[in-house]
Amino acid sequence: MRRKLRYLGGWWWMTPALVLVGVFVYYPVLQNFQLSLYSWNAFSRAPRYVGMDNYATMVADEVFWRALWNNVIYAVVSLIFQVFFALVLAAILEEFVHRRLAGFLRALYFIPTVISITVSGILFSFIYNPEFGLLNKLLQAIGLGGLTRAWLGEEGTAMGSIIAMSQWQSFGYTAVLFIVAIQRIPRDLYESARIDGAGRVRTFVSITLPLVREMTTLLVIITVSGAFLVFNEVMVMTAGGPARSTHVLGTWLYFNAFMADDMGYASAIASFIFVITLALAIGQLAYGNRKRVEW
Amino acid sequence: MKARHMMAALVASAIALTACGAPSVPGQVAPSASISSPAVKSGSLTILTKFAAPEYAPYFEAVVKSYMAENPEVTIDLQQVGDQPYKDKIRVLSASKQLPDIYFSWAGDFANKFVRAGLAADLSAEIAPSTSWGSTFAPAALEAFTTGGKQYGVPINLDAKYLVYSKAALAKAGITAPAATLEDLLADCGKLKSAGYTPIAFGNQYGWPAIHYMTQLNAFNVPADTLAKDYNPASGEFTDPGYIKALEQFKQLLTACFNNGANGMSHEVAQANLTSGKAAMQYVELVEFGNFTAEKAPQAFADDWSFFRLPMATGSAGSPNALTGAPDGFMVNAGSENASVAVDFLKYMTNQTNAEKITKDIGWLSPVKGSATEANAFPQLIEALADVSKAESFAIWLDTVAHADVASAYLSGVEGIVSGSKTPEDVMASVKQAAAKAKKSVS
Repeated sequence: MRRKLRYLGGWWWMTPALVLVGVFVYYPVLQNFQLSLYSWNAFSRAPRYVGMDNYATMVADEVFWRALWNNVIYAVVSLIFQVFFALVLAAILEEFVHRRLAGFLRALYFIPTVISITVSGILFSFIYNPEFGLLNKLLQAIGLGGLTRAWLGEEGTAMGSIIAMSQWQSFGYTAVLFIVAIQRIPRDLYESARIDGAGRVRTFVSITLPLVREMTTLLVIITVSGAFLVFNEVMVMTAGGPARSTHVLGTWLYFNAFMADDMGYASAIASFIFVITLALAIGQLAYGNRKRVEW
Repeated sequence: MKARHMMAALVASAIALTACGAPSVPGQVAPSASISSPAVKSGSLTILTKFAAPEYAPYFEAVVKSYMAENPEVTIDLQQVGDQPYKDKIRVLSASKQLPDIYFSWAGDFANKFVRAGLAADLSAEIAPSTSWGSTFAPAALEAFTTGGKQYGVPINLDAKYLVYSKAALAKAGITAPAATLEDLLADCGKLKSAGYTPIAFGNQYGWPAIHYMTQLNAFNVPADTLAKDYNPASGEFTDPGYIKALEQFKQLLTACFNNGANGMSHEVAQANLTSGKAAMQYVELVEFGNFTAEKAPQAFADDWSFFRLPMATGSAGSPNALTGAPDGFMVNAGSENASVAVDFLKYMTNQTNAEKITKDIGWLSPVKGSATEANAFPQLIEALADVSKAESFAIWLDTVAHADVASAYLSGVEGIVSGSKTPEDVMASVKQAAAKAKKSVS
């Protein structure tokens, strides 16, 4: 009896959290799915049930696919810079650079992370400015005047320019996380590797890489899901233009909801984003359950 | 395994929920508001504007404050947000049935959305041109907020689009008078280029500056009746050949007059090129004229600028005397419990004193007749007022007059023309497609 009460008591303690999560997380998710089956907007008198129409529109919508592709590119580039290069940078800072200088460089790489995204977006709009932007001026100065262009104004370069800004901003953050992970590796492993005659590259591949696996996994998941939720960077720098070429799923959703007054379609896009991020989260759970590396 | 259970539960409950019927989005608010003059002015009002910018906000704050001082029984909660946040906020408020008593609106389909949803009070009894309040306004300004013969909005300013130019630049290029036809303008651009100027500064980072050109060029090239029919979402088809012509003329301007890389430059940066003497002209709104006064622009420019209308190509089929522009306005919530006080406040805001104050404080022209004088306005503003009153009709901004889908097809299409990836034919194909979709959504 007492045990049963205790068991129930546990549930009581959990109720507030369950209610909060239910009301603010699960209910909106379900309602969003429900709304995606209607054609409605903020001004409509009565929502009209349209079944899977919004999803059919989505499949046939060029901009949607373009946006999804942009997200995928964003994710791939972010993986290369924010995971791979950040790890290499962290290893270099830890292994090769003098302690005092390493501290200075760490701070230097980390600073962009603390700048607000709006500020850095505007800053980069100036750097990319076709007339007086630093980037074009730099290209001219080194004799590459032929490459100058309106970086944010051409379909071919706008998305790349936004992604580049985002790498500049986030790269230092992941590098610092890797540094912390590397510092946790016991030094004697490195010493014994050195005694065994391993070079620095060999040590990196055989010791550093496997022992920061947990951090790598975590950052892969954070980076990839971040890439699918990107919004501010695009909104500040191009708002999806020129000619809708820089829309990502988040901005295309926002555009349909608040500019084109098509809330039903926006909900359908939201459901799609939810499915992607849920899949990533499940991947994370599955991976997180694997055996940890012990030392 | 757990995740699979969770997914199954989610899907199951989603299906259960969908079976429950329509989501709760706004029903029609009964237009019960009485708008005739209140016997006793009391109660509270909520007002939402999009004028949070520091140069505009103080005017509205001051008017609210003085109204409350004169009517101590009335309390007003004034909220002002920026241009873009306003578009989000007003939608959220109207979806959640919490529309303020008085709210801002652009003229055109943006206002009509509220009318169609029954969220805007019919103000005809008080502000129709024949009423004593209505007769104080310029008729074209009232016309911009008329839908189906009824008056739904109170215009608060006058806005129109002009080519502002530096007199010195034109003189240096040997141009004696502003161009009278589009052909002349294109030729002038050549002269200005040879004189070392960017003929027309153009920053199109967010797409709307190009849309303003298209508004005027469409009005020049498409007969007014056809234009009105096409801008109405219920009957829009966009088959007139004038639309293609308008886009082609835009393309001519692009090659002959504009700077390169316009999509990557903001309108404000382009404006700096004009005032600093790098560019000779820019297509700007009347509400921006204040930027060219000595307080904000370099003295050399402030002393030496003038403006003219974008000229029409010879032999065009549209309206030569239509002027791109529209008043902004305020609407009254149809469900407001204090609609009569709301209307009283709007009357107060547009009385002669406050109309003169808007010109003096923020350099806007008021739609109230005779409100701009030498005492409160700079010379170009008075000149503009005279020109605006000569215009037969306003060509309301394409991005607010047309359905949002059509507007966005235009917006992205013209951006494509600027960057060179689209032809006028491509643009019209997607505009037609958007018009068909819009027709479906309002029917």
